[in-house]
Amino acid sequence: MHTRKISHLSSLWIILRKEVVDNARDRRTLTTMGISIVIFPMLMFSLIWFLDKTVKEETDLVNAEALQLPVIGAEHAPNLISWLAQNNIDIIDPPVDPELSISKGEHRVILLIRSDYPESFLNGTTAPIRLIHDSSITGLEKIGFNSVQGAIRSYSGQIASLRLLARGINPEAANPIRINVSDVASPQARSGQFLTMMPYLMIMFIMAGGMYLAIDTTAGEREKGSLEPLLTQPVKRHIVLLAKLGATIVFSSLTLLMVLIGLGLAFGYMPVDIISISVGAGKIATIFIACLPFVFAGCALMVLVASFTKSYKEAQSYLGMVMLVPTLPLMSLAFLSPEPSTSNMWVPALSQGMIIIETLKGESVALELIGLSMICSTILAAALAWLAIKLYQRERILG
Amino acid sequence: MIEVSNLRKHFGSVKAVDGVSFNAQDGKITGLLGPNGAGKSTTLRILYTAFRPDAGTALIDNFDVTIDKLAVRSSIGVLTHGAGIYERLTAYENIRYFGELHGMTGKELKIRIDELADLLEMKDFIDRRAKGFSQGQKTKVALARALVHNPKNVLLDEPTNGLDIMATRGLRQVIKRLKDAGHCVLFSSHVMQEVAALCDEIVIIANGKVAASGSPQQLRIDTGKTNLEDAFVKAIGSEEGLI
Repeated sequence: MHTRKISHLSSLWIILRKEVVDNARDRRTLTTMGISIVIFPMLMFSLIWFLDKTVKEETDLVNAEALQLPVIGAEHAPNLISWLAQNNIDIIDPPVDPELSISKGEHRVILLIRSDYPESFLNGTTAPIRLIHDSSITGLEKIGFNSVQGAIRSYSGQIASLRLLARGINPEAANPIRINVSDVASPQARSGQFLTMMPYLMIMFIMAGGMYLAIDTTAGEREKGSLEPLLTQPVKRHIVLLAKLGATIVFSSLTLLMVLIGLGLAFGYMPVDIISISVGAGKIATIFIACLPFVFAGCALMVLVASFTKSYKEAQSYLGMVMLVPTLPLMSLAFLSPEPSTSNMWVPALSQGMIIIETLKGESVALELIGLSMICSTILAAALAWLAIKLYQRERILG
Repeated sequence: MIEVSNLRKHFGSVKAVDGVSFNAQDGKITGLLGPNGAGKSTTLRILYTAFRPDAGTALIDNFDVTIDKLAVRSSIGVLTHGAGIYERLTAYENIRYFGELHGMTGKELKIRIDELADLLEMKDFIDRRAKGFSQGQKTKVALARALVHNPKNVLLDEPTNGLDIMATRGLRQVIKRLKDAGHCVLFSSHVMQEVAALCDEIVIIANGKVAASGSPQQLRIDTGKTNLEDAFVKAIGSEEGLI
């Protein structure tokens, strides 16, 4: 008999190594990782390139051409009309039914000046005019409405100042406060909207990278009939589970690392103007290390859920849903854009999301906050792993 | 040496094993014979520590299966129901994996695997990945995997399932050699001829209970029948499940 005492650590290593070799030969695992490094940056950058191009072309278009503004009753306000003309607005004849032509989309905005305009103007009271537009139209089309409104406001402001001067009042008395805006955002930070996408994608890839191994650990081995022979080896069950969790973590973190490297390369070589982010080795290392505890937690969650399931198919459909769970806390990134603080950095997924965003922006997160995030996620991972071990020790695991 | 005493295992209201007792000696082949669903597999699963019995004791080389699980697992080699080998590993890697888990390494392990490949005639597919193996090839790999650490006790759950005649003959020879080398072999089957051809001791199980046990000769005497098939039918009280 060859039996000899074998340490827990060496059995853990033997099983982990076997799982890594076994799954490295699996097409599905490799495909997931391949997608992460090739398809992901390509997809993202074609999107950015497209956005960049469209935005540039359309703003050029809008700025270059004079706005066509149909005016009804232009004869009542010749000064206003000439002011508008000076502001790069072409005054044209109005259509027959202004409201209909707006809703049909023939014109974006129409100005209506009533016949009582000159009288009010002369009396020094407020002269009403009307702008007809469709507020459901968004985006660049709105620029026309905004520039007409802006031009009329500044005209109104000038007239107001003149009226005050005529009455011997300093116009500044009517403007107690003047707002001067200075924007200190770095070019990297301006890419913030785009950056809120990143945590989603990375967390999805972390989950996807380990998914097949997590399934293989329980449902897969059971379906192949290899779980029972494995559990009759002189190895404690929790060592078997931990080794398999370890292999899941290896693949999951490799996927994350590849996504980060792919991202770094892509940012380095893509000629895109609206986003100027450099992702160097330092940022990759920071994000990778800060996200590792989440990798542990995500993998433990998947292994735990996979141990409930009876077949590969069932596990696959459950894990498809489980993959979405960590993206829920990320929702608040898009809606609330929170800043890292002790009140939110304990939340797994959310805290890693904020670290990813801040790091890519080129801003640093306080070390104690990163520590808080890592510790809390590790605690969660340990709790999930413990639960998975408990489930793994049931007889029902053998089906 | 396997000693089973009054073993019980219930799943809800189903009494899968309901007071099974028997001994399996070293240097002998003991067969668990019974119709499908009689409790053979559950008994074996308790013996190889996959299930915990509700009551009763089972000792393997004096290690209790509920207490010294790791010692029990070290001293047994198990061929479970359905071979269950890793398709993306080669036959060699499959066997080496389990050898390593038993603490074997390097040259010693390699020599042992070569020995088993010889014994089980696996030379032509030992370095091929297991995907696409025939049932017979898979069973050979699984058997080699079970025997890699040269266990004193060998438990085989329906080992000839899905094997063709040649493979079955080969398996029988392996089992006989294990016996000659002083191993304790316990195997379950619902095929009476197989048990009759191989076993020194037969334990007939029906409805979770031992219906009869003893050497083939003794069984014939006890039931008053001249052939083993009739003895079997008499012992389990019906012809149900007999092949």
